[in-house]
Amino acid sequence: MFRYILKRILIFIPTLFIISFVIFMLGVYAPGDPVANMISSPGEESATDRMAGEKEYIKKWKELNMDLPVFYFTISSLADCDTLHKIYRKAHRETLSALTSEHGNWNQISNYYEELKKYEKKVLAFEADSASLKSWGRLRDYAANLYLKSKPKDVDNNIKRLEKYTDKINDSLNILTTSLAQLKASYDGVVSQSTSWKNYVPAINWYGLKNRYHIWITRFLQFDFGISYQDKMPIALKIKDNIFWTMLISIISIILTYIFAIPLGVFSAVKKGTVADNVTTTILFMLYSLPSFWIATLFLIFLCNPEYIQLFPTNGVGSEAIERATELHGPSFFRDLGIRIHHLILPLICWTYGSLAFLSRQMRGGMLGVLKQDYIRTARAKGLPENKVIWKHGFRNSLLPIITLFANIFPLMISGSVVIEVIFSIPGMGRMLVEGMTSQDFPVIFTIVMMVAILTMIGYLIADILYAFVDPRITYTNKK
Amino acid sequence: MLFKKKNKKEDSQEKKELEQGYWPYVRRQFKKNKRALFSLYFVIFLAFIAVFADFIANDKPFMCQYKGSFYFPIFKEYAVAAGVSNWQEDFRNVNWYDLKYDMSIWPPIPYKNTTMDQDNAPFVAPFAKQKIKSNRWRHWFGTNKLGNDVFACMIHGTRIAFLVGIVSMGIALIIGLFFGSISGFFGDDRLQLSRGKVIMNILFFPLALFYFSRFFSISFFLAILVAIVVMVIGNLIAKLLDYVPYLKDKISVPVDIIVTRFIEIVVSVPVLILVLSVVAVFPPSIFLVMGVIGAVRWTGIARFIRAELLRVRSLEYIEAAQVLGYPKWYILFKHALPNALAPVFIAVAFGIAAAILIESFLSFLGFGIPIELNTWGQLLTQSRQAPDAWWLAIFPGLAIFVTVTLFNLIGEGLTDAIDPRLKQ
Repeated sequence: MFRYILKRILIFIPTLFIISFVIFMLGVYAPGDPVANMISSPGEESATDRMAGEKEYIKKWKELNMDLPVFYFTISSLADCDTLHKIYRKAHRETLSALTSEHGNWNQISNYYEELKKYEKKVLAFEADSASLKSWGRLRDYAANLYLKSKPKDVDNNIKRLEKYTDKINDSLNILTTSLAQLKASYDGVVSQSTSWKNYVPAINWYGLKNRYHIWITRFLQFDFGISYQDKMPIALKIKDNIFWTMLISIISIILTYIFAIPLGVFSAVKKGTVADNVTTTILFMLYSLPSFWIATLFLIFLCNPEYIQLFPTNGVGSEAIERATELHGPSFFRDLGIRIHHLILPLICWTYGSLAFLSRQMRGGMLGVLKQDYIRTARAKGLPENKVIWKHGFRNSLLPIITLFANIFPLMISGSVVIEVIFSIPGMGRMLVEGMTSQDFPVIFTIVMMVAILTMIGYLIADILYAFVDPRITYTNKK
Repeated sequence: MLFKKKNKKEDSQEKKELEQGYWPYVRRQFKKNKRALFSLYFVIFLAFIAVFADFIANDKPFMCQYKGSFYFPIFKEYAVAAGVSNWQEDFRNVNWYDLKYDMSIWPPIPYKNTTMDQDNAPFVAPFAKQKIKSNRWRHWFGTNKLGNDVFACMIHGTRIAFLVGIVSMGIALIIGLFFGSISGFFGDDRLQLSRGKVIMNILFFPLALFYFSRFFSISFFLAILVAIVVMVIGNLIAKLLDYVPYLKDKISVPVDIIVTRFIEIVVSVPVLILVLSVVAVFPPSIFLVMGVIGAVRWTGIARFIRAELLRVRSLEYIEAAQVLGYPKWYILFKHALPNALAPVFIAVAFGIAAAILIESFLSFLGFGIPIELNTWGQLLTQSRQAPDAWWLAIFPGLAIFVTVTLFNLIGEGLTDAIDPRLKQ
């Protein structure tokens, strides 16, 4: 038994690794720039604003460890640069890697990139007179545009445009002309010394432990979840605020499920073939296929709407109502409880009925299988009362699969909670996750997905252990 | 003549009695289950709607007579989409409702899921006063905020739902069949390869992945082709290595252990949350939704196939085929797999139901499916902004519920017909 648990825990490790890897890479390769979202957008007009914005960007970027490699190693090609992650603009990185896959000579490309940066600086520093101000503006735009171009044709066109506008500018000291010529020469170097074959030779770059994944996962395992991009709050704090309602409703819901599902399943199995059984089975089957978000929407529209029937409050968990009542009448435990129940009853129904139907159907199936067994016939032949036959001999033996289902129900509830929390605006983990997703708040997404994964696996483990306790025949040791 | 006919009838009757094979048996059992059979017919009907959605609800007429000549705009639209034809000058960027036809035949629902009827927006109820020419143009299921006809959206939503359900299960089927069949058929002891071959495959697989990723940006099929070529080269080198004494020794590859562990890992992934996060961070794309659902929902299929093949592989006819000297892969695909496929249909039926549910769940939360498509889940979510628009809550939700139930009922019927033991 102990060895089995150990084995299960060993399986956790690759599972957790895969989930964390997938979810982390998702954050890395997702479109959008989290750093840009976090800082206030830099002023467009004045150069000093731009510089300040740039500085802030780099600071934030380093704070988020973005200047480190993503993973322990990369499998790339001979042509690829192994320190590309040190370039802080995402768009620049993309252009540079596109250039690499086009030409395959990193030395020349980095030379070109440096020239381009120098050139842009010169353009920005250039003090244009009023006559050439317009051309200078175009020059600035095209220079910035060049950072995004990787196809030879596009780059050529862009450089030609730059030449065109440089001619129009009153450039007495030839600063722009010479640096543009240098830029062009460096790009010609990229094109002429192209070694694109290098793209097809694999190479492994090893970065060691100082990488973003390693830092994130070690911090996660030490319960340091980071800071939310959205409101800059520590995620641990946010979770502490949110986990209560999710857990409370889930636990109540699981208890309700087991309380109702087991008698219902046993009842319909015992009464197999009767009208009562047919009705229960059909209803349970329909409940099983009913999408909970539909039922929740229907509840909201028909039971919480002054237009139709307003039996229940529309949203929240009643915290405001309690505050208001406390202000008016002073504290009262039972009234508060009543308000809570009033708010939570609809979410609880939506949360529960799916797993209830699922569990009852399983219970019925298991009980039917058991009731066919010889020992049930023997028990009846002995003259035992029917009640005893069913509950003592039948029920106990059909309990087994029900216990393992705990593992299936648990993750089902947590993912089901997402949509119900959103609909009823319950401040829980599911709603926090969805809010994190809409604002691309990756630390929040990582943390919640990982927590759900860990809880799921713990659910499976608990189910396995319970299984062994209920059925002594199961030993797990010589299981093949 | 009459005599002959009767003879034929008798013949076919005899044939029917003689049909004692496995599949005829399954078919007969399935037909006994009236609910499942009815569900199957209903699903076929829905599939018909999904396929011909453009002909049932469209913003163009079927056929029209315009300035003296006849046109078939809906067919023409297909031709234009396929690139074999172009619109005439008169019809480019035109509002088809405003044209003056000599004669026109419109589809049963003269709206598309993307058609916005500004006169009847926002949220016009089915039986309220609508600004329409006649009842022919009535929005029978009402409209949403932008004036999209809800009925038309439902028809086109059927297509999205079926597409997601079937394609994602197709992907799951490919992955599941592959893993299930190698682990079930070979087990831990039947796949014996020379050491050289094992080493070469382990070395060349990452290489194939590398070239796949390199060529992926050019073309998906080219990338697959290159990856296959790399693997073939690896195996050819392995053939040469068979002349080296140590490397030519056969070792058995524990396929079953590897695959079962892998399945165990995938099963403990919280599917819905993972699908949600993958789909949410990328721009909406129906292909991404299908791919991700397929990539996480194959384990059921693999488990069924594995269990069935473990049984089938020890049957006498497989042993006979082995004795006759057929190659392993040939036996697997030609003899073993066809006889192990039945339970897979159960997993596929339930899987389609789950995939449709996941799709509408994602649409409901506003992730994954492009917003202008107005799928069932998206219509349902719009009802939350307008709590009085009951038609937006009832009809799409009913469509999701009915479709999911039908597939579940088919799954149940198949379970009963194929293997009553599986039903718990």
